[in-house]
Amino acid sequence: MMGRRIATVAAALAALMLGPVPAIAQKATLNVVTAGDQNMVDYVKDYLAPIFEKNNPNVTVKAVGTGPGDAGSQKIAEKLAAQKTNPSWDVDVAVVHQKMAGDMVREGLLAPYVKDVSTGKLTTSPTAKSALGQNVEGYVIPMFQSQTAIAYNPSMVQTPPKSYADLEAWVKANPKKFGHNGIKGGMSGVAFVVGWIYANAPNSDKLMAGPYDKAVADAWGPAFAKLKDFNKQVTITPGNAGTLDMLNRGEIAMGPVWVDMFYTWMADGKLPPTMRLALIGPGMPGQPMYYVIPAKAANGAAARKFVEMATSPQVQAEGIVKKFNWYPGIDAQHVKAQLDEKTWNKLFIDVSPQDLAAKAKPFPVKEYFDAILQGYEKQVMN
Amino acid sequence: MTAALRWIPRAIVLGLVVYAIFGPLANLALWAFAEQWYYPHKLPVTYGLRFWHQVFKPRGDALESLSTSVIIALLTVALCLVIAVPAGYALARLRLPARALIMLAFLLPQAFPSLAVYINIARLFYGLGLNGTILGVVLVHTVHGLVFAVWITTAAFAAVDRDLELAARSIGASALRTFLTVTLPLAAPGITASAVFVFLESLDEFTGTYFVGVPDITTLPLLMFTASIAGNYQIAAITALILLIPSIGFMLVVERFLKADVMAKVGT
Amino acid sequence: MPKHEELLRAPVKESRILPLCLVAPALLTVLVLFVYPLCYSLVTAFVDKGGQPTLGNFYRAFEFYSVDIGFTVVIVTLSTFAVGVLAIAIGGYLTLGECAPAVALLRWVYRWPLFIPFVVAAQCMRTFLAKNGLMNNSLVSLGLLDPQSTVGFLDWRGIVITFVWKQLPFVALLVSGAMASLDRTTIEAARNLGAGRLRILVEIVVPQVRPTLMVGLILSFVTMMSVLSVPIMVSGESPTMITVDMAFRINNYGDYGAANALGFISYALTGAAAWIYLRRGIAGGGKP
Repeated sequence: MMGRRIATVAAALAALMLGPVPAIAQKATLNVVTAGDQNMVDYVKDYLAPIFEKNNPNVTVKAVGTGPGDAGSQKIAEKLAAQKTNPSWDVDVAVVHQKMAGDMVREGLLAPYVKDVSTGKLTTSPTAKSALGQNVEGYVIPMFQSQTAIAYNPSMVQTPPKSYADLEAWVKANPKKFGHNGIKGGMSGVAFVVGWIYANAPNSDKLMAGPYDKAVADAWGPAFAKLKDFNKQVTITPGNAGTLDMLNRGEIAMGPVWVDMFYTWMADGKLPPTMRLALIGPGMPGQPMYYVIPAKAANGAAARKFVEMATSPQVQAEGIVKKFNWYPGIDAQHVKAQLDEKTWNKLFIDVSPQDLAAKAKPFPVKEYFDAILQGYEKQVMN
Repeated sequence: MTAALRWIPRAIVLGLVVYAIFGPLANLALWAFAEQWYYPHKLPVTYGLRFWHQVFKPRGDALESLSTSVIIALLTVALCLVIAVPAGYALARLRLPARALIMLAFLLPQAFPSLAVYINIARLFYGLGLNGTILGVVLVHTVHGLVFAVWITTAAFAAVDRDLELAARSIGASALRTFLTVTLPLAAPGITASAVFVFLESLDEFTGTYFVGVPDITTLPLLMFTASIAGNYQIAAITALILLIPSIGFMLVVERFLKADVMAKVGT
Repeated sequence: MPKHEELLRAPVKESRILPLCLVAPALLTVLVLFVYPLCYSLVTAFVDKGGQPTLGNFYRAFEFYSVDIGFTVVIVTLSTFAVGVLAIAIGGYLTLGECAPAVALLRWVYRWPLFIPFVVAAQCMRTFLAKNGLMNNSLVSLGLLDPQSTVGFLDWRGIVITFVWKQLPFVALLVSGAMASLDRTTIEAARNLGAGRLRILVEIVVPQVRPTLMVGLILSFVTMMSVLSVPIMVSGESPTMITVDMAFRINNYGDYGAANALGFISYALTGAAAWIYLRRGIAGGGKP
């Protein structure tokens, strides 16, 4: 009797210690792992999960965030690679950045699921086929497209800059009033740095088109040197949110932000409603996040159902556009039909479709991207 | 008159000290109850409990992380005590070769910057399938807490009056029985103190969990970190307040737990 | 009494293995889970991805992070120094202070951050030290500061402030404990000879508590050397501490070589600090 009880307790303890979190019996758990800022995890947890669970009562959605920036995606890739030889993996749906998506396809970590999903045909944009120069066709569906821009406080900035050159001049006249977060605290700072190279280095078109040529990357010295000087006149903020927070508290007047985060913060009362955005020339990068399904996902069928639901025009309209202020991942015409004019236009208050067409750039192909980040660490920060 | 005058510089200095200690804490409390706070307002624009509801909502992470944190801390305490009590007894009472060296070995995890070690533990744990498991995190916390467990239990055993043990032995009690009925109860307050130390250390641990547990294990400090990095200062502040309760509670009673006679023997 | 002695020795004589068995689990835990990974990190720092010995990791570490290495030294040394001075001041006042209510107040106040985790301290400071954070706001409201001239401390200075705030109570607790257990006769004698309190503190009290102070400072130094949350949360990235760089190297590139090279540098810095302490201990004539 006593022995049995001890055995039960011991078994329970063992189960507790070896499993990540005690799973609920009977119900299947769909593990959705997201890279990116907290808003991405919130989107899965607070918006997608309840809808999916309502339609699939025998499934519980568990959302896990792995942190902002490419580091978050790298964590997911490592997690999958570590289980490579196992019969099934504990990630059913993952949301990853462009840079890692290509690597993950190449390493055989992902399932070519797009053909099996009815919404797969709704995306025709080039980002669904190629991620930073790497072929990902058939493996990814964009969750959304997002864009960086310069947020500014009109009471402190009379004439907002139109280009990187304008910005440089403004910063000279207003030292420490511009802030960005560099490359270690999230992608808005990374985007700013990449945009700087686009603006100040020769042959920037090659960076986006590839293929990699070391001679091009070697010519960035002057651009980095100029950025190093520029950085002396700016405030370095702690992270994507740090930039927004400093804007909110009037500590800086301008800074690069993700457009979606900007609108979400404003809606939450964390930014004064007077703040505005400007997409400066020659352009700043934006990126999609991808829904991917690991090659050996334990609940592959439910995972496909989940992605299908998440990329349906209704969810893209209500969740992605209306609630979270992202640009839709699937083609615009499918989403626009679901929304009234006013909600749709809210996306384009400060950044017009013309601006987006002319100045929204992709990130560079992977080798150039890595070269920019390493160059920044070596030549600007050190 | 002169006495009153002497109070002026004293009051200024003491005021500064109080401000330096409590200013940051007061700031945290303000953030926990601020619903809107933006420039140029020097204090929150609106106060409220909206974010408290968000933190404690049924689907929220806070309760889950809190229970994960407490489970990990309790398991860490259990594991630490199971290995530290015998070790402490041996170090305090029995003859050991290279005793000083053994004592020092437990200090190692505190004597080397641990971050570089954690990244390698994480790498080794990956191979063993321990990354992202409760057990993995418990092991990391155990190593870090072991110095408190071993040193304080050693001191606690050393502070037990030998004559009482001898009295028990002389009326015929076996060595084990003496240990269980005399030594252990007398050392209990010190052992409890070490358990509390280990518990707190585990509850507050960040770096090791960051490398070994993430993303599957989210303890309260990690949840707080994520919220802060995402700019959810209210949520970060509320989580921080939850973490503060045991920390400050223990700080206020630490001397009652750690009697001077035990304190004097720590590390010897 | 001899009978007692016999009883006490008896079990020890019975078994030499027993004490070792009792210590073994704890010792093994440290060896397997700390010493082994430590050695592993030392080795990894000196080999490349193919397992060949190389200094390339160190070359990379310096090429990328020489500024951050310098700042890490500055931040940690400055913090340790400040903690030491302030801990002596607090301990000294608690021991030599003559105004009982002031002493009692200080004794109650200074310990609050003792067990507060670094993450929480960082969160407190992140919003407290900002340019328009609560600190500057309250100074402006009191008229002590001009709203135009406020400065934020969210850079390396913020890291130092957070470290001092968090570590000071620990060292002060150790130091004041050691001061309280000193023999008061020399202090009283010096006082009767008319020595000022500052002089008594510097010339009589501090030399006697030096070993305790140094142990506290070394432990603080090591602790601060491996804090990741504070630099990430309090300061922007350039310049920052090498802990952030180690995490970045691993999280973004899986570059364990350079990360371990930085780790090696952090051990070396700690070793240097410990060496200085040992030398001063011997030079001071006391035991280290």
